[in-house]
Parts: sequence; C-alpha cells; structure tokens
Amino acid sequence: MTYYLVVFAAGFAGSFHCLGMCGGFACGLGRDPRGRGATILRHLLYNSGRLTTYCFVGALAGALGQIVCTRQGTTFLLLDGSLDAAERILAIVAGLLMIAMALQFFGVLHVFHRLAVGFGSSTFAMSLRSLLTTRSRTAPLAFGVLNGFLPCPLVYAFAAEAASTSQTLPGFLTMASFGLGTFPAMLAMGGVGRVLAPTWRQRGVWLAGSCILLLGLITLSRGLLPLDAHMSHGLLGGHPA
Amino acid sequence: MTASDESLCRHCLLPVGRRALQQTVNGESCAFCCYGCSIAFQVKNGKTEEWEAAWLLIRLGVGGFLSMNIMLFSLLIYGGVFTGADARLLPFIDILLLVLATPAVVILGGPFLRETLVEGARGRLTASALIVLGVGAAYIYSTLAVIEGNAQVYFDTATMVLMLFTLGRYLEAAGRARAARDLEPLLAAERENVVVVENGTEIRRPVREVVAGTLVRVRPGERIAVDGVIIEGSSHADEAVITGESRPVEKGLGSAVIAGSINMEGLLLIRSSGSGTATRWAQICRSVRDALMRRSPIQRLADRAVGAAVPGVLLLGGLTVTYWAQWLPLDRAMLMGVAVLVVACPCAVGLAAPLATSIGIGRLARRGCLIRDAGALEALASVRLLAFDKTGTLTLGKARVVAIETTGVATADVLALAAGLERHSEHGLGHAVVSEAADRGVEFVPAHDVRAVPGRGIVGHVDGGTVAAGNLAFMRDLRFPVASGLAERGRRAEASGHSVIYVGWGDQTHAVISLDDAPVPEARVTIGALRARGLRMVVLTGDLAPAAHRVAAGLGIVDVRAGLTPEDKRIALDWHRKSRDLVAMVGDGLNDGLVLVEADVGIAVGTATDLARETASVVLPVGGLWLLPWIIDVARAVGTTVRTNLLWAFGYNLVALTLAASGMLQPIIAAAVMAGSSILVVLNSLRLERLPDPVPPQFLERPSDAETSRGGVGLPVALGPAIERG
Repeated sequence: MTYYLVVFAAGFAGSFHCLGMCGGFACGLGRDPRGRGATILRHLLYNSGRLTTYCFVGALAGALGQIVCTRQGTTFLLLDGSLDAAERILAIVAGLLMIAMALQFFGVLHVFHRLAVGFGSSTFAMSLRSLLTTRSRTAPLAFGVLNGFLPCPLVYAFAAEAASTSQTLPGFLTMASFGLGTFPAMLAMGGVGRVLAPTWRQRGVWLAGSCILLLGLITLSRGLLPLDAHMSHGLLGGHPA
Repeated sequence: MTASDESLCRHCLLPVGRRALQQTVNGESCAFCCYGCSIAFQVKNGKTEEWEAAWLLIRLGVGGFLSMNIMLFSLLIYGGVFTGADARLLPFIDILLLVLATPAVVILGGPFLRETLVEGARGRLTASALIVLGVGAAYIYSTLAVIEGNAQVYFDTATMVLMLFTLGRYLEAAGRARAARDLEPLLAAERENVVVVENGTEIRRPVREVVAGTLVRVRPGERIAVDGVIIEGSSHADEAVITGESRPVEKGLGSAVIAGSINMEGLLLIRSSGSGTATRWAQICRSVRDALMRRSPIQRLADRAVGAAVPGVLLLGGLTVTYWAQWLPLDRAMLMGVAVLVVACPCAVGLAAPLATSIGIGRLARRGCLIRDAGALEALASVRLLAFDKTGTLTLGKARVVAIETTGVATADVLALAAGLERHSEHGLGHAVVSEAADRGVEFVPAHDVRAVPGRGIVGHVDGGTVAAGNLAFMRDLRFPVASGLAERGRRAEASGHSVIYVGWGDQTHAVISLDDAPVPEARVTIGALRARGLRMVVLTGDLAPAAHRVAAGLGIVDVRAGLTPEDKRIALDWHRKSRDLVAMVGDGLNDGLVLVEADVGIAVGTATDLARETASVVLPVGGLWLLPWIIDVARAVGTTVRTNLLWAFGYNLVALTLAASGMLQPIIAAAVMAGSSILVVLNSLRLERLPDPVPPQFLERPSDAETSRGGVGLPVALGPAIERG
C-alpha cells in the first residue's frame, strides 16, 4: 500500500510540473456557461479521460512486462534459467529511466524535457486545442483521453515503472495511483484558473523529483541487488503479487 | 477509368481512385483517398469553429475512452485478477463490457460500415468489408454469449481491432502527408493568390485573374507566381523548379523573373508579361497533376491483386472457421477466422507503388524535371540503353556559318536567298544562316509558299522560281544538279565534320554553306556519369557520319549511327530494343517527336515548347542534360522502393495469413501488425526523401554565365532545336 502512496505522492507533486502544459489545457477548458455543476462535470470528464489513458497504459505495460517475464510461457521467449534475469533487466531499465527523470526534475538532465516539448508542440497537440472550445458535452472526455497520450516524461517514467511490476494489476494500479495523484492539482487548475506561485511550483517539482528518485532507486535495486527481489517491496509494503 | 472519377486526395496527393471520400472541410468540398487521410487532414487543417473537424476528434477520443476501458478490464481478466472468490464478478463485468462496447463499435466502426455498404451497393468488395465482417462476428458472438451467460466474450477484440485500424490509418495518412509536402508547391499554381497593386492599393487576387501588364507585389520568401519584369526592387531568386539549379540568381531592376521561382530577400514589384495561367510553371503544375493521376503498370497489377484478394480472403476466413470448428469450440474457431480477415487487409499492397512514385515525381519536379506518367519513371529504372540525338541535345545546336562555297555567284546573293527561306524554319542550322545574313547586313529576299521537308530541307518560291536549301539528297530530289566541284567541296566539309546546307535556285545548285556546332559543355561529364551507371549509349542522328563521329568521339561514345531519317531512327530503336529490352531516347523534343514517342522512355532536353504539346514522357529543363544521371538514380531508387514495398507487403500478408489460418495469431495482434505493415511501407517510401540532390558540374557553377548562354531560362528562346537534314 505504501508503494502506491509514494506513487500517488509522486503524481501529486509531479503534477505541479505538468501545470505548464496540461495545466494550460485545464485552464483552457475553463468554466461552462451552463453553471457551476456543468463546469465541475467538464473537468471531471477531462480528468477521467486522462486517467483512463494512464490506467490503460499501465495495464498494458504490466501485461507486456508479464509476457516478457512470463513464468509459464518459457518456451517462446526465454529459457528457464533467464527468467529471473528478464525481470531484473526490466527493473534496471525502468529504474534507470526513473532516476534519469528525477535528475531532470532537479535540473541536471534535459534530454527528456526537450523530447517532450518537441512532441508537445506538434500539430497533434495544436489541433487538440480545437477541442477545448467545442460546445459538445463529450468533448472534454475526448480531449482528456487524447491528452493522456501526449508525450510527457512523467508518464514515461511511470509506464516504465508499471512495466517493471511485470503484472497487469500492479501495473494498472501504479498508473492509476499516479493518475489520481495528478487529479487534485489539475482539478484545482480548472477551478482556480490561475497559476500557482513559482516558488510553490518549484517546491512541487523538487518533491516530485525526490519521490521519483526514491522509486527509481528501489526499482533499480530490485534488478541489481543479489538479495531476494521482494525485499524492496517489503520495504514499502509491497504490491499485491 | 474515366477522367471524371480521377482526382488527387486533398491530404496525401495520391489519386483518389474510384473510392473517393467526399467531405466538407472549412466550407470547401475535399476529396480523400481513404478514411485515414480524411482524419489526418481534418485534424491538421480543420478550423476550431468547424463542427465536423471537432466532431471527428470527439468521436476518436470517446471511442478511445470506451475501447481502452474494455481492454483494461479484459487485460485484468486475462491477467487472472478475477479468479477464485472474485470470479462471481465476471458476469457483471461482461455486461459492463457490452455496455461499453456497443457505442464503441458504432462510433469507431461507422466509417468502415458505411464504406462497405456504399461499395457493396456498387457490387464491389473492399478491405473494409473484411474488417466489418471480422469485428461484427466478434461483437455479435460476444453479445449472444452475454445474453446466454457464457463467460467467454471478445469485446476487446471487436473494439481494439477497430481502434488499431483507425489509428493505423491515421498514422499512415500523416506519413503520406510528409511525402506530399514536396509536391504541394508544384500543385499550388492553380490555387495561388497574388498581391495585385491597383491604383496604389494592394489587393489579394487569384493568379488566374492576372493578365499582361498587371502589377504584382512579391514579398521576401514568397513564390513569384507570374512571368514578368521587375520594375521596383532587387533580390535573388531560386529558380530550381524551372531550371533545376538551386543556385540563387541575382535580380535587379528590369530583370526578367520566371513564375515558380522563389523571391529570396527583396521586396519586388513585377509587371506581368502574360496571363497568370499561361506560365511554364502553371504548365508544370498541370503536368505534375496529370502524372500523379496516371497509374503505372505495376500499380494496376497491384490494384488487380488487391481486388482479387478480398473475395479470396473471405473464402479463406470461412474455411479457417469451418476447419477449426471440427476440433475446437466455435468461439475459438471464430477468433481464428477473425484473425484471418483482419490480417489480410491489403492496404499496404495498394499503397506500395503510388506513394514511392509520387515522392519520386515530386523530387524530380522540384528540380524542373517533369515525369509525365508514373509508368515512365518505372521504365526509366530498368532502361539499359540510352540513344541520344546529337544536334540540340549533345551539341548546343547553335551552329554558326564558317564558310560559303559558291559556283561563282556572290555570297551575298546566296545568303539573301537562303536567309529568306530559313527565317521560316525552326531549324538550328537555319537560324545560323539567318543570323549570319543579318550580321553581314544582307537584305533577305522574301520567299513564299515555304515548306519544310523533315530530314531534307526547306523549299519555297521567289519570283516564280523555286529556291531550296537542304542536304545533297534534297537537291537530287528536286533535280537540281550539283556541279562536281561544288559537291566535292561539300563532301570535304562534311568529311571534316561540318554541317552543310546546299542552296539552289533556278534549277541549279549554286552554293554550299558549311556550319559548325559545339558540344554542350556538360555533355562529357554527363556521358561519363551515365556510363558509370552501367548504361550503354548510342548516338542516332540525321547528321552526316563525320560530324556525328567527331562529336561522339569527343564525348566518348563509340556507337554512332548517322544520316538517319526520323523513320530510320525508329527502326534503329526497334533493333536495339530486341537486344536490350528497354530503350530510352534523349532528344530535343521538337523534331524527334516521333522517335521520342516510339522509345520506351522519351526524354526531351532543353525545349522551351508548350509542355501540353510535348510528346516525351520525361522533360528536362532547358540546359538540363547534366541532370540525367541524377534522374536515373532517382528512378532506380523509386523502382527499388516499389519492389521492396511490394515484396514486403505481399510477403508480410502471406506469412501473417498463414499464421492466422493456423491459429497462431490473436486478432488484436493481427490488427496491430497489419496497421504496422502500412506504416512500414510509408516509412520505407519516405527514405526516398533522403536521396542526395543533383550536383551541377564545375563549369556550371559560374554565376550569370549559365543564364546568359542559355538565353534566359524557361522563356521561349530559339535555342536551336534542329531538324537534321544531313
């Protein structure tokens, strides 16, 4: 449980980072002229759209991890002996990705940010904006779903983490926790409609970086340490395996 | 295929074929070749206020929301989450899946169903029918299973197949738009707007409203859409589309500018010299559009294969289900049938040839090289022998008079009569005679009833008497005797490789004019580069052997056949064709018309004629002989790409079909690999964009030289297109 709480916290803190792009979208959704209830519905729809995408990506990543590390289907992908190795490699890759992402949050690495910004300003993102102004009630949902696919370093990091769990349910839960973590800030963005003070955003980014770094180190240790791989899960309460 | 059902897709510029998808975007009716292009175009260009564009995104988003939720639950079921105590939840989850899947199938499957029905009503089966049938089977089976309380449902298959196909088509179309980027400016001539200056005010007008004398303002970075003269400002212009050379050309007050070139840095005011639709650029645009719409032989073959594939796949799908149903439960057998239907969607095969070809045509057209139909590009890739015409192609065709031998008459009289005839001629040698007469200040004797005899000469009447200028054979035809001394001098001049014109009047041959011609400066380098590409070259000329041999030897061509009439050339081509399948003829496009049409690929170099009347299937810009090796490279690269595309698409389909029919492929995976197949074809074709640009030979690098020696590119200039007369 603790594990998911850390993920949630990382999502919550990380969403301060997201305010730059996705926050702009949330602001763009703005208020519904049909009243306060309609406005809240708009933002809930938008965020559930986003959450759906995240959950789907998480479950898919987990399932893929499961296929790679499958315990039954040893014949078609891996030999018996390397089963554990596959899991470890996955954990190492995911762990390194997380750490790289955390370093980027501390301002040490810039690769991922450039990558995300490069994609983010693409025509796809631009044309998505057109959905923001549409009167249709379902538009925010569609917008949320498509928004979830816009490249974002945070999403990459947690998708990798989800894959490293190498099971569908934990993968799903990892991304769900992360997605739920981003809910408060994004909802607040919609409601408050103004950007948080820069110092607070900076603190949020650092907090997110710390959480991601912690998760990354734990994931990496799962791959590297010669100890029982489940030790680290025990450390944080573990996820239901 | 009639002209009426042929136009270009608004998004990817491939021919839309018979299955055009008409849609209104931004208040304009657009034709699309496929559903993917319609999505991609609307996503990219649909205006915010435009309901349709937004509605499309909403549909995709909501469809994605529903299908992702279905997949999420299905993944959890497959992951074994709902086992043991949680198994009692399964029936409720199945109902939830049905509730989610029904709108998803309607939203995502609608376009596919519509296409199937529309085409079905016309008696045609398309790839969409396969998807509709596969998805429909999975959905209806699962719905019945829910009603019966059966645990196994396949809503994930139904929705994910639709989602993946939609996504695949979108990505594919987005990739194709990249290919179209190169072609876009070449098709813009008809849609272009220009800033017209009228009474001091600037108004935007369509280019077709421009007439001679219209003042047009062109800003830096804009394309100049009219032919004309600069009356204000100075700049550099990139004329690559017309001349093939991307080196900027300096333009100042009074300089002529060509439609299609790009104004680089200065603000210009241009006085148009003609109608906006009569420019060479407009002709190029029309020619490119025509080329894109024509299907190449290999493409027609692929289309037929696709047409035949759909019923075959339906049959195979049915057989798969029947076969497996004997051993497995019906739902498992049905799933295998669905996989067969989904994996065999022949989209990649249909895309293999036209995409690569249109990228190739675009690449070439940007350098002023026009391909008039896709088949020519295909044939050019496998050409083994290039036959060259000499005059005007390998030589400048700009002969000058070097000697006039007479039987005693005054040279001025010879020139006066000859020039009076030859000024009616389009012939390069004729021009030389006319300019020589003008240079010497000789007054022409006007001739009437002038008639040109191809391969022979020109004849007319002066004061009731016949006057003729042409080769020796022509004099004999006219029964003009040639004095032996004169004939001997003519022979000697020809033996040293000069061109000669015999001039006769009053039933007598009186003079022989010797002319000389110089090879095109880049010819030697070009011939060398072509030889390095493994091509064999011959010269087929109407000129006499010595002149032909002299020029050919200088260029390193051994095989020369001289003294040929156009008909002889055609026979020579046929003879070569017997030993080396495909033969290309390179000529000046004016007088080789017949031969250029007869060759497998007719290549016209350096004509400034009306493109619409051009008979060659490949047209190079004026002075563009040096581009020929590059064109061969592009044609070969396109050929290779088309072959690899087809091999990949067919091979991939066959392997995937085998796997699916033997039950080793899940329908969802099948849909993913199928979408991937088209995208790979697109990516493979896009590699053509990375082909290197042509490098002009060193001596063409001198600025302004090329311009002056070629007499102003693209404009109708008398560059000595010649009829060989011997």
